Amino acid sequence: MSDAAAAAPAAPTIDDDANWQRLHPATLALAIVKLGPRSVNFLPAVAALGFTGNWVWIVPALLAFLLISLVAAWLHWLRFRFLVGDDEIVIESGVLSRQHRTIPFDRIQDVSIEQGLVSRALGIAKVGFETGAGGKENDADLDAIALDAAQALRTTIRAHRSDAMPTTAAAASDATETAAEHGDRLLFAMTPRQLLLAGLFNFSLAALAVVGAAMQFFDDFLPFDFNIFSIRDWTGLAERYGLEQWVVAHRWVAAIGAALSLLLIGFASGIVTMFFANWDFRLTREPRALRRTRGLTTRTDVAVPVKRVQAAILLTGWFRRLFGWHELRLQSLASDGEKERDHQVVPFAKLDDIDLVLAEVAIARPAPDVAWQQSHSVIALGGLVGALAASTGGLVAVAFGQALGWFGPVVGLAIGAAALFGVRFHRWTDLGEQVAIRRGFWKPRLTLLPHASVQSVDLKSDFILRPLGLATLVFGVPGGSSLASHEIPAIPLATARDLRDRILTARARA
Amino acid sequence: MTDTPAVHQTDPFDPEALNAAEGLDPVDPAFAQVLRIATALNLIPLAIGASVFDYLLIRHIEGPYGLITALAWLIAIIVILTFPSRRVARWGYKIGEGQLRVARGWLFRTDTIVPFVRVQHIDVGQGPVERWFGLSHLIVHTSGTHNSTVTLPGLPADLAAAMRETIRRHIQTDFA
Repeated sequence: MSDAAAAAPAAPTIDDDANWQRLHPATLALAIVKLGPRSVNFLPAVAALGFTGNWVWIVPALLAFLLISLVAAWLHWLRFRFLVGDDEIVIESGVLSRQHRTIPFDRIQDVSIEQGLVSRALGIAKVGFETGAGGKENDADLDAIALDAAQALRTTIRAHRSDAMPTTAAAASDATETAAEHGDRLLFAMTPRQLLLAGLFNFSLAALAVVGAAMQFFDDFLPFDFNIFSIRDWTGLAERYGLEQWVVAHRWVAAIGAALSLLLIGFASGIVTMFFANWDFRLTREPRALRRTRGLTTRTDVAVPVKRVQAAILLTGWFRRLFGWHELRLQSLASDGEKERDHQVVPFAKLDDIDLVLAEVAIARPAPDVAWQQSHSVIALGGLVGALAASTGGLVAVAFGQALGWFGPVVGLAIGAAALFGVRFHRWTDLGEQVAIRRGFWKPRLTLLPHASVQSVDLKSDFILRPLGLATLVFGVPGGSSLASHEIPAIPLATARDLRDRILTARARA
Repeated sequence: MTDTPAVHQTDPFDPEALNAAEGLDPVDPAFAQVLRIATALNLIPLAIGASVFDYLLIRHIEGPYGLITALAWLIAIIVILTFPSRRVARWGYKIGEGQLRVARGWLFRTDTIVPFVRVQHIDVGQGPVERWFGLSHLIVHTSGTHNSTVTLPGLPADLAAAMRETIRRHIQTDFA
């Protein structure tokens, strides 16, 4: 405690135990809920007891497990405390090995608030502090405190930041200053109607694939011997109930019925996922950040500091593009939750709405009459080699008498055609302050990368590109996925060098 | 960065020309020895493994005993003797104009430029083998997800330290 006070001499903190706060007691209830999934770990032990015939011990063992878990949760709760000072937040945690962490408010880039279904029922929320240190383990969170306390805490930290604003205002970019005048305002919201429309375009059979894979995987464990994805099982079922005559007679009806139910599942899963993820979606402009709240069961409240936006990514699909629907993601230093790397700030909107958001982060879409440059068609080579491999593999299988091998050349042809067709969609253009990179036909993707975000540039050539006088530019940009780096493939070497020089002379982004 | 067309720039059988054509400085030739030792440490266990496999299995099934052993050792020796010096010749770097340029490889050549102002922090490292030859490697960290570290090996230890100081000065002047 005295360490905390010593670390912040400016803070007139009364070093008193009364100032320390605990997490909300309802956190313990949350711990009980979390026991559910965790008890799966315990299943092998139960099974072992069962197999060895010690049935009587199962209930006591379960009780002991429950008790130990609860005591552990309670100890964690007891040994976790935090102190909100004037300039910093101090968190002490750990049952056996104590951890003492001080985070100055100045270093907190933003505060996120997340509420799961149970948390909402209990009126508590998980508060995450984004420090921009990178890496999950570097970011602290309070899991969980009362919702109003969480909001108050965020207001405190934000207020502190805006107090500090005048001193840094001189260095701040124009964008921040103009925005500060406007204060908070709504940039984008999604009505249930829009959600439904977005959900319809969100058609996917991915959910089906997941269930299918799970059924395959757990086939041996399921209590019933039936795989909904196996035609043999269905015909078996039909035979058993004398339906087989009917199915054979009305083959087309059955086929259409199956197709319709597939379609229905695809649409339903698309709509359901859209509703769960983006219910009551609101994107607001705050003095320093774009703030997004969304979610039906799990509500998240995330802010993307405007100055830390590194690039904008505009996504669409080949079909929804015909109707002018797009999705906007912003690449920032922090990642969006655990799965997504880029922050989805507009899930589904027309370009006019997206332009409003882009203007806030000082990124512009290329004008429609801008001259795009194409990548060389040699980039189809990878796909063609894949196509060749698939075809040869399939034909070899056919040669060995496996009729399914014909699948290979068919897939190979499709891959090859797609590769050749997709080449035309690899384009880029330099807009002076930023580079725009377009790619993909199936899922068109437009990356808007400000020159100032680029930390390093690779100019790559290899034994295929070099004889053609080509090179690939790869940009090192903060944030985003390490797997999907921004690159402009196969452009003439002189052009690549020229572009590299222009990008590297750009000044750092505010 | 001359605008020489790529076709005239490189002769696959004259790796030295590569750096000269691109205006890069070569790394220390002693780095070849470091690479050679590293390659040897990788390949010799593999060759030994191949010999053991040969001895235990091929002889047992009365196959052509000795073929795999001979091939493994032949390849290992050729690779250890010839590859490192070629690889070293294809490393190049240039420091100046406010940026660090590191190029490597020939079959897959990557030419990286990091402006000094984008450098987050700098490491100068030295492994035991490098120490033996008085070499160090310089690692430059950027905040980019791609290229978060750029490594330049094969620098004389004093040069690496001097380069670190040069870059460090630039980082400081940027913040001032």
